[in-house]
Amino acid sequence: MMLGLTQNQTAQATPPSSQTRSKPTQSLAIVVNRSNPIDNLSYRELRKIFLGERNHWPNGHRIAVAMLDYGQPERETVLRLIYRLDENGYQDRLLRGMFLGDVLVAPKTLASPLILRKFVFNAPGAIGYLRASDVDDSVKVIRIDGMLPDNKDYKLQIDERSSE
Amino acid sequence: MATQTDLTARQIVSAYVQTSKAFLARKLSRHIWTILLLLVLCGEAGVGLFVMRDLARSYATVEKMYNGSVQGLLRFGDLEYEAQETRRRTLYALTTNDGNLQVDYADQSRKADRGVTQGIIQYLAQAHTPRESELGHRLQSDWSAYLKVRDDVLGLILEGSPKEAVQLDLSVGVPEFDRVRQDLEDIKVTYSEQASQQLSAVAEFSRRSTTRLSASLLFGLLFGSVAVWAIQKSRMRGAVQLAKLQMDFVASVSHELRTPITAMLTAGENIRDGLVLGSESLFEHGSVITDQAGRLSELVDQVLLFAATSTARPSHLLRELRVDEVVADAIRSTKGLLEKAGATIDVKIESGLPPIVGDLSVLSQCLQNLIANAVKYSAGNRWVGIAARLNQEAREIEVSVQDHGIGIPASDLAHIFEPFYRSPQAVAAHIPGTGLGLSIAKRSAEALGGGLSVSTQIGVGSVFTVHLPFAHEALQGIRRQRVPELERQP
Repeated sequence: MMLGLTQNQTAQATPPSSQTRSKPTQSLAIVVNRSNPIDNLSYRELRKIFLGERNHWPNGHRIAVAMLDYGQPERETVLRLIYRLDENGYQDRLLRGMFLGDVLVAPKTLASPLILRKFVFNAPGAIGYLRASDVDDSVKVIRIDGMLPDNKDYKLQIDERSSE
Repeated sequence: MATQTDLTARQIVSAYVQTSKAFLARKLSRHIWTILLLLVLCGEAGVGLFVMRDLARSYATVEKMYNGSVQGLLRFGDLEYEAQETRRRTLYALTTNDGNLQVDYADQSRKADRGVTQGIIQYLAQAHTPRESELGHRLQSDWSAYLKVRDDVLGLILEGSPKEAVQLDLSVGVPEFDRVRQDLEDIKVTYSEQASQQLSAVAEFSRRSTTRLSASLLFGLLFGSVAVWAIQKSRMRGAVQLAKLQMDFVASVSHELRTPITAMLTAGENIRDGLVLGSESLFEHGSVITDQAGRLSELVDQVLLFAATSTARPSHLLRELRVDEVVADAIRSTKGLLEKAGATIDVKIESGLPPIVGDLSVLSQCLQNLIANAVKYSAGNRWVGIAARLNQEAREIEVSVQDHGIGIPASDLAHIFEPFYRSPQAVAAHIPGTGLGLSIAKRSAEALGGGLSVSTQIGVGSVFTVHLPFAHEALQGIRRQRVPELERQP
């Protein structure tokens, strides 16, 4: 299932090559509720969902984006690779979207990966992100552009330097 | 030699057993009320056991009630609380927009619902009746249905759709939860009914135990009182009888003593007063004195013997005896009497008779008394027959003393073994006697575990038979001894 994203956004979405990183990295898994029939998203569709441009899943459930709290490497990675914004830019965009009505439901900000995992487990329409090592059977990892986090060409890699 | 010693020991033990049996039989008849009282006490103890059994059943029922209904109600309380908590925590998530808190409430709700699910499984596992199973399965089904709604409500809350969550909860969640609540209420009623039934059972056990105990105590008290009264009365009667017996004894002995003493006194006075002249008359009076002194001596001997056989536990020197040895001793002791009376004696002792166990002097005295009686009541026919034979069927040796005398009237037969009893015919015929001979003979035989019987015919004579039992072991030994003898016989 492909959700439509703009060409411009697609151009900006290219992540840095894994070969340029000097430190060991870890993949960032995109997780959804186990009842969600979606198994694969394109990188473009993923951005659209996180940006609040798409509010419902094909099964009718409202999409609930789960974000980790400020300062965590996973959040930094998502802001950098999916939103392509820094923290201030994200906050500005969120406020503007809420004010203008473009964003119906603000992403849920959760304190820890554990809580985020539980949130995704409880909410059928939830989508969030976790380090691959934090994933368990209570949630479902979806493919991004057909790739799972253990794939060497997987785009969403956490840059540990961003949290230093 | 060793076998012979063992046999003797066995025979002695056997004789003691026989003696003890006779002693026990006398004691039993004397203490019948005491025995009955003991039996009543045993009965009381039996009732006590029944009561204890009822109490144990009551305890088991109470324990069952506690483990079943009471524990069930406690578990039910937990179940009800957890069910409420499941719903409550779900609704708490509605009260905040904080995702962390909402997840926390969702967690708490799930924890509570796991408690309920486990409780239902436990209830089903312990369900004993079809009604309980039906209720359990219904609750399980309704609880699953509610949980589906709860999951949807939680999802809507977390997804940021509180309005839809409330609508879903009100339209579907509330009715589903009401069904669960109704199921729980039905289970509660079932527990209450079971507890009530078990309580009734316990009350019934308690009532029954109380009734039994009361009846038993009442019966015991009444019967005990009656038994104590009867025992006292029996003892009193015994004491009166003993006193009467002692008085009779003293009176009889006094009477028996007075006759020879009077005769001796008269003869002595006549000699002293010079009324006796001539050697012939002096011889006559001297004979009166010696005869009466002899009679007096005999009487004293008989009284002493009677007193000895009257003791509760006469001491006997038990040993192995041959029947012919006993008979010979008795004949030897009565030789003077037999010669004086000019009586002929005919002895027939079966060959190969087994040895018996007893006291030679006692058995001999027993036979002596019977021989003396046979001589005294022979009515001119001075023949005395003594026979000894083995009665295999009765497992005893029978020694009989027979005479061809006057016989005993039927009216006297019931009294001849009573001490100091003398037949009116004997008294009328001036037959001397103390009335103790047969009594002593009977007691002597009984003291050794045997007995004394009589068969008589007026004008033909009487046969007194001493029955001397032998132990089984002795009989076996006797058989072993007799077989070679029989085989040797042509």
